[in-house]
Amino acid sequence: MLSMILVAGGLLAAGTSSDHIQGGSATFTLRAEHLRLYGNQVIENGIVKVENGKVTYAGDAKGAGELGHDVIEHKGWASPGLVAARTRSGLSGDTLEPKRPMTAQARAADVLSLEHADFRRARSEGITTMVVTLSPANVASGLSAVVKTDGATMVEREAHLQLGLSADALRNNRYPTSYGAALELIEGELSKPTGVWERAATGKLPVMLDAVSRDEIQRALALAGEYKLKGVLTRAPLAGELAADVRKSGLGVIVGPFGFGTEQRLLDSVTALGRERVPLAFGLESPDWPEASLRISAALCVRAGLDATMAWEGLTTTAAALAGVGARVGKLAPGYDADIVLWNGDPLELSSRAVTVFIGGVRHDGGAH
Amino acid sequence: MQAIFSLLQPCLLACGLAAAPAPFVGDEPVPAPTDLFVRAAKLHVRPGRVIDNGMLWIHDGRILAVGTDIKVPKDAKVIEGKVVCPGFIDSWSSFALEPNALRDDRVGPSTLAVDAVDSFVDARHEQALLNSGVTAFRVQPAIGARATGVGAMLRTHPTRPFGETTVLADACVATSIGLSRDGRAIDVFDRVTSVDRVVGALADGLAYHIDQNEYRHELAEWEKKIADKQKELEEGFKKAKKDREKAQTEAKDKGNEFKDKEYKEDKKPKAPRYDADKEILGRVAAGELPLVVEVHRALEIRALLEGTERFERLRLVLAGASEAAQCAEALKERRVPVIVWPQPLPADRPSEYRGANLALAAELAHEGVEVLIGSGANDALATRDLPLLAALAVGHGLSPEEALAALTTRPARVFDCGDQLGTLELGRQADVLVLDGEPFSATTKVRLVISGGEVVVGEVSK
Repeated sequence: MLSMILVAGGLLAAGTSSDHIQGGSATFTLRAEHLRLYGNQVIENGIVKVENGKVTYAGDAKGAGELGHDVIEHKGWASPGLVAARTRSGLSGDTLEPKRPMTAQARAADVLSLEHADFRRARSEGITTMVVTLSPANVASGLSAVVKTDGATMVEREAHLQLGLSADALRNNRYPTSYGAALELIEGELSKPTGVWERAATGKLPVMLDAVSRDEIQRALALAGEYKLKGVLTRAPLAGELAADVRKSGLGVIVGPFGFGTEQRLLDSVTALGRERVPLAFGLESPDWPEASLRISAALCVRAGLDATMAWEGLTTTAAALAGVGARVGKLAPGYDADIVLWNGDPLELSSRAVTVFIGGVRHDGGAH
Repeated sequence: MQAIFSLLQPCLLACGLAAAPAPFVGDEPVPAPTDLFVRAAKLHVRPGRVIDNGMLWIHDGRILAVGTDIKVPKDAKVIEGKVVCPGFIDSWSSFALEPNALRDDRVGPSTLAVDAVDSFVDARHEQALLNSGVTAFRVQPAIGARATGVGAMLRTHPTRPFGETTVLADACVATSIGLSRDGRAIDVFDRVTSVDRVVGALADGLAYHIDQNEYRHELAEWEKKIADKQKELEEGFKKAKKDREKAQTEAKDKGNEFKDKEYKEDKKPKAPRYDADKEILGRVAAGELPLVVEVHRALEIRALLEGTERFERLRLVLAGASEAAQCAEALKERRVPVIVWPQPLPADRPSEYRGANLALAAELAHEGVEVLIGSGANDALATRDLPLLAALAVGHGLSPEEALAALTTRPARVFDCGDQLGTLELGRQADVLVLDGEPFSATTKVRLVISGGEVVVGEVSK
């Protein structure tokens, strides 16, 4: 009970928040003026009940039942925590193996530090889950990881098998130096798959196909079609110009990050993907890009014509689904992790800021800075 | 309710119309209809003056009436919108400049931005700016160079040749202090020297300006003297002729040699050697146009403020100014506006941006410093994203009203374009946005843009 009061008291003082983990109980009830559950569903005076770090109820006041005495009141917006669908946050050292093109078993999970300052900065932007990737500049770079930004939680150690189909994966001082040879390597593994390749070939492990130019994107789509791979395209700045083909492939696309001044053609490409209802999520590439770029990317796409609901889902539900953790994060619904962000306005607007972040029901301050 | 600012006096109307530009002739955009009538749930005449359920009457491209109960003129085209406000102005842009001109560090203070405008700029990009509501932008060549030349205020226009979109060719002179080059930080001594260089250049410019003024004064005096003498000679010509003939005869009679009187004319004043750089810097030192200095560190901002204190008429404007919050009091006292670039930066950033903080705009505004917002000029198309940059500043504490001023009235006034841009006040050339939501919202769509009295985005119907 005392800890719950502390949480509530802390919220009132959110404007003067400190930057360290506050802790507190993982069981509480939240009432927010505006509650974004998922998609474009916004509930006025919505309730979220949290028990032991999991959401047990999220919806309107009518269905919430008894609220108890200690309710956290938030005069603003609450939403699920944002999910960065691709980033390089928290990694130590160089993750590119320069001499060997295939390091499929290498794990980002093994070379990242959960306590890295990159994650603290991400948290302050309302990002609670991140997909950490290895350098895409290899034919098979390895396995991405999904982490929470609470400094402690590894969600998925092997999220995607990262395959590089762009020119970046080719190098003149080692084999392969050509697209054909790179594909031969990948297809060699997929035709008699073992280990992670087998999981990828049977659709149990999503792939992350890195492609940049139009022909690289087409090659990636063909590969996914031939071996029935599931997963996502990354980078692929002009994938929207092949939107119908991308939709047929069943792959999602992780777009961005985009900054102010992004070429109009790239934003139009995202809008085209949105029109075809291709599953979209936003990438970040921190620490090279500031963590604020995640919401900026979404806002730029909305300004350019992307449906606002798709943009919001690309920051939450779709991003979680494309990372294979869609049953655990990205929504406020019973059974989901209590990753909740309190904002001072609509989180899709850049004029709003995260003021308090709960991860697994545990409160973290520092959102305002 | 009455129309509160109706301007119907024929004489004033005549004055306003007399100054109206010739209508644009082309396929698109079209000149605004003779009478255009805008109704808005919220009408921002200028920041701080909002009219609920406001009305705006535009006649021949000029604002004729603003109020709440104006009768719709006969045959007027009527437009409805949720929010109506003045067009946005990017105080710090590189849009439409020739890419090489942006990186050329050989320019001098007198290099003109208008000479560096790229005539082949993509019309789609220009349309993208207008779709974001950006109707004007200030550019300067050679971003990051020491001297970055004479900045210009240009109007966004999808089809008109650039020569015809200049609002003001000499909107400012721009320079920079202490920026990293090629990823390398500038040595601290170089940075201090940079401040001295700016101050020295201003002093030279002012001396040149004074010399020029003295020369003009002396020349005028000399010309007057010559004219007076000429007049005197012309008036006394007959008598002088007679006197001369008489003297000639007398000399002949006496057998003497006749000599004409010699008139010694004053020496004509010598013009100082023309120097274009000193000339423009002299105008800056004399306050004819503002000096925009991109400077970030508090140390250099302080040195610049101290160094330029003796130029009483100087209109200093800071750009970037990452650590300006530390000097807010001095900036307020000296009435130095700051163009803030609300750009989130990665943790690993050039040293001059170490103190950069998105709350800068709010902190400066709180201390009473005038804040403008610019897109920072690193990416030409960032000008398109000006409303979102303003949204970030609002998200970090700047009031929406201050943000609107930072995009409208203030840049118009600071860069001497207030007669053409920045407000929806009476008699002004119409520069109007009709929006379907709040000005800085990601989901807001710009329904109609009237720029310089022409409809450049959207359609109008009766």
